[in-house]
Amino acid sequence: MNDDHIVIDDNAPSAPGGDVILDFHNVTKQFPGVVALRDVSLQIRRGEIHGICGENGAGKSTLMKILSGVYPWGTYEGQVLFEGQELRLENRSIRQALEAGIAIVYQELTLVPGITVGENIFLGKEPVERGAINWDKLYADTQHLLNEYKLDIPPQALVKNLGVGKMQMTEIAKALSENARLLILDEPTSALAEAEVEQLMIILRTLKEHGVTCIYISHKLEEFFSITDSITVLRDGRVITTQPTRDLSVEKLVHYMVGREMTERFPESHRQPGEIVLEVEDLHAADPTESTREVLKGVSFTLRKGEVLGIAGLMGSGRTELAMTIFGEYGKITQGTVKLAGETLNIKNSRDAMRHGLSLVPEDRKRHGLVLIQSILRNISLPNLDQFAKWYKVDDNAELRASRTFAQNLAIKAPHLNVLCNTLSGGNQQKVVISKWLMSQPKVLIMDDPTRGIDVGAKYEIYKLINDLTAQGIAIIMISSELEEVLGMSDRVMVMHAGRSAGILDISEATQEHIMALATGIA
Amino acid sequence: MSTISKNGSVQNTVSNLTKQFRANIQTYAIIVAMVAIWIIFTITTGGSYASAQNVSNLFRQMTVTSFLAVGMVLVIVTGGIDLSVGKAAGFVSVVVAHFQAYIWPDMLPGQEWLTTILSVLIGLTVGILIGTFQGYIISYLRVPAFIVTLGGLWMFNGGILIVTQGRTIPANQPLFSWIGQGYLRPTHGWIVAVGVVALLFYTMFNNRQKKRRYGFELSPLYVDVLKTAFYAVLIAAYVAVVNSFNGVSIPVLLLATAAVVMAYVSNNTRFGRYAYAIGGNREAARLSGVNINKNIFGIFVVMGFLCGVSGIVLASYVGFGTTAAGHGYELDAIASCILGGTSTLGGEGTVFGAMIGALIMASLTNGLQILNVPSSWQYVVKGIVLILAVYTDVYFKKNR
Repeated sequence: MNDDHIVIDDNAPSAPGGDVILDFHNVTKQFPGVVALRDVSLQIRRGEIHGICGENGAGKSTLMKILSGVYPWGTYEGQVLFEGQELRLENRSIRQALEAGIAIVYQELTLVPGITVGENIFLGKEPVERGAINWDKLYADTQHLLNEYKLDIPPQALVKNLGVGKMQMTEIAKALSENARLLILDEPTSALAEAEVEQLMIILRTLKEHGVTCIYISHKLEEFFSITDSITVLRDGRVITTQPTRDLSVEKLVHYMVGREMTERFPESHRQPGEIVLEVEDLHAADPTESTREVLKGVSFTLRKGEVLGIAGLMGSGRTELAMTIFGEYGKITQGTVKLAGETLNIKNSRDAMRHGLSLVPEDRKRHGLVLIQSILRNISLPNLDQFAKWYKVDDNAELRASRTFAQNLAIKAPHLNVLCNTLSGGNQQKVVISKWLMSQPKVLIMDDPTRGIDVGAKYEIYKLINDLTAQGIAIIMISSELEEVLGMSDRVMVMHAGRSAGILDISEATQEHIMALATGIA
Repeated sequence: MSTISKNGSVQNTVSNLTKQFRANIQTYAIIVAMVAIWIIFTITTGGSYASAQNVSNLFRQMTVTSFLAVGMVLVIVTGGIDLSVGKAAGFVSVVVAHFQAYIWPDMLPGQEWLTTILSVLIGLTVGILIGTFQGYIISYLRVPAFIVTLGGLWMFNGGILIVTQGRTIPANQPLFSWIGQGYLRPTHGWIVAVGVVALLFYTMFNNRQKKRRYGFELSPLYVDVLKTAFYAVLIAAYVAVVNSFNGVSIPVLLLATAAVVMAYVSNNTRFGRYAYAIGGNREAARLSGVNINKNIFGIFVVMGFLCGVSGIVLASYVGFGTTAAGHGYELDAIASCILGGTSTLGGEGTVFGAMIGALIMASLTNGLQILNVPSSWQYVVKGIVLILAVYTDVYFKKNR
């Protein structure tokens, strides 16, 4: 990878020499057997956007949990000063943190979907007049707040009808309504499409003009360079470095994060695609809840044995719907065909799809991929119990042997297979999901955003795995929100726009600009 | 943390009971609570609580609602609920009593064996039909289980009144009464005990052999032997105690069979595994190829079957079909599951735990009765125990 793609915005104001708003002073946090933070000292200056990066388990979330009171004052060593005062949060008192002026916008949004934007923003502090809520004032105040920060959301819209991007704006507005001086954004772009990311960046710059300080946590390193003033890298619970963004590069960041030179972010591959296995022709499909609305409006592509077809597209372009439709778990196919090895398929549900040799690693591993309260073993074997069933009984020895083989091959890090999935890191969870779908011995593996929210090291392992699988002749469809990844891993790239395949590019002719042009419908 | 090794510490084929035991830390706590309750009552009743007669009664008293709890575990595990089971069992009991009292004597006079068998078959059929009916509406027509079974509760209550016409129906032919009131002769009791213990040891050795064939690491032989011996001693102790009174009670034997079968089904069959996956994450289960409708339908059919068993034992045990048959049993069954660690959110719970929960409920009722505590206060105590037990669990989970 060369440096061309890194955007260094020379016009962005440099880190202001303002006073220190948040000061971690020799903070150490220990768990039985593990030191999560070692003697961390870190200063955030007022008015800056401060990026924090590090692999999963580096200590980012521990830092955040101290700021939100999940690890209350007294359970860690050292001091945390906010605006010069020591922060003494009680157990799980996110309320106290808010009152102090610290607001956290989580990866998983915490809005009530069934009520309006305004109600959400003023939830728990509604303007009351003689015991009744003053709705006019509530919506007027909401509008005022939204105008001030240039947030484009209708105050009376129901949150469930908004896109993820606008939901996030609502969440930010809610934090601002609490008079937050420090806003912490935890993986804010993981669910956003590229255009929405741009929008978010604009909002963050507006906030900065208003003097709000931001801590920006992300796995997408490029983002740091378009928005942050300085970056802190954590590794193994230590602060490795804090530097002004303009002195850093993606390569340097990766180097600091993993502690080794990572010359290649994508492993080398020598793929030799074979004959065509999957043929999708002019596929149309309707929204399952609203059968008159077409979500897929004509998608055609072919997929060869041992090939990776990348699918790029903005949120709402129909990427995920395409995957689910092929897998038989979305709306009705209204037109078009799906052929596997020349045979036209009529897939009614996931069981059918599996029988035909299709597997799907779903986009949202926690909601669709895993039974989090169950063990690694039970999760891996779930779709494959038919393999181990003798008449009615599940042969648990065979189940364990096969599951263990996959767990070893994918290097799932856990002391044993009875560990519950909710205790695993994102990368390991994803490996469990992939294991369970590989065990069914697919001919075609559809991966919907397989590296979403996982760290650089685990990403690299998943990329290597993809190469191993193609070498075994498995055909892979890889949907991704990250253009880099699509470009780094695919043999061909299909770009989707508004439910259609806007174009299929050979990797040799694909560039970020070209893909974006197709995805946004300009090309 | 280490990567999974070939000789990882995963113990797979431990015997069924220990697997259940281990599955839930809460189970340990609840067993301790049960023993504590027994000790307290033994002291406060001056020892009569622990007499052979009372132990025998205690286990027999728990059977009717425990059949319902055995089925309820899987219903709650999938994230559902069945409010109709008490009245469904009551309905089965009055139908069976009706046949015993009014139909068979005219149709098949003097055919005691045949009429008893037919009564049982009718009871089971009615139960299965109830389960099929409710299960179909819940799974395929997608009406929430809470509503369907609430409606069922009223319908079966009405059914009870229609069948009995407000009167009590006698059901006391000797052979039929044996189902709910009978005892094994002491020698037969020992034969069953020896058979079960032999089966336990056979299963243990068989499992070890299979594991060896797969090349898995075995736990030391003495550990497995000691574990199995522990259960053998429990069984022997129970048989010895009840034999000094009347012998092993038939309904207890039936209940033990139902519980062991359902525990096995929940752990070792696809049907059971899918139930836990559905309760743990319905969407993930669906995308993993689990046929959710079919599974939930099946669970309600099984629940209906167990309502049938429960109703037959109820009619036989009481000797009558009454208008109040089965009243409130659904709440006892649900409480037993919850006490035994079944999560109301679904995905977690064991048959073994539910049986311990049922035993606690029965132990409380029985002990308070011996102490002559008025039934009004028995309810209050049971209510407090249920809430306290769940709070303890919540507290420990939060502060783990």
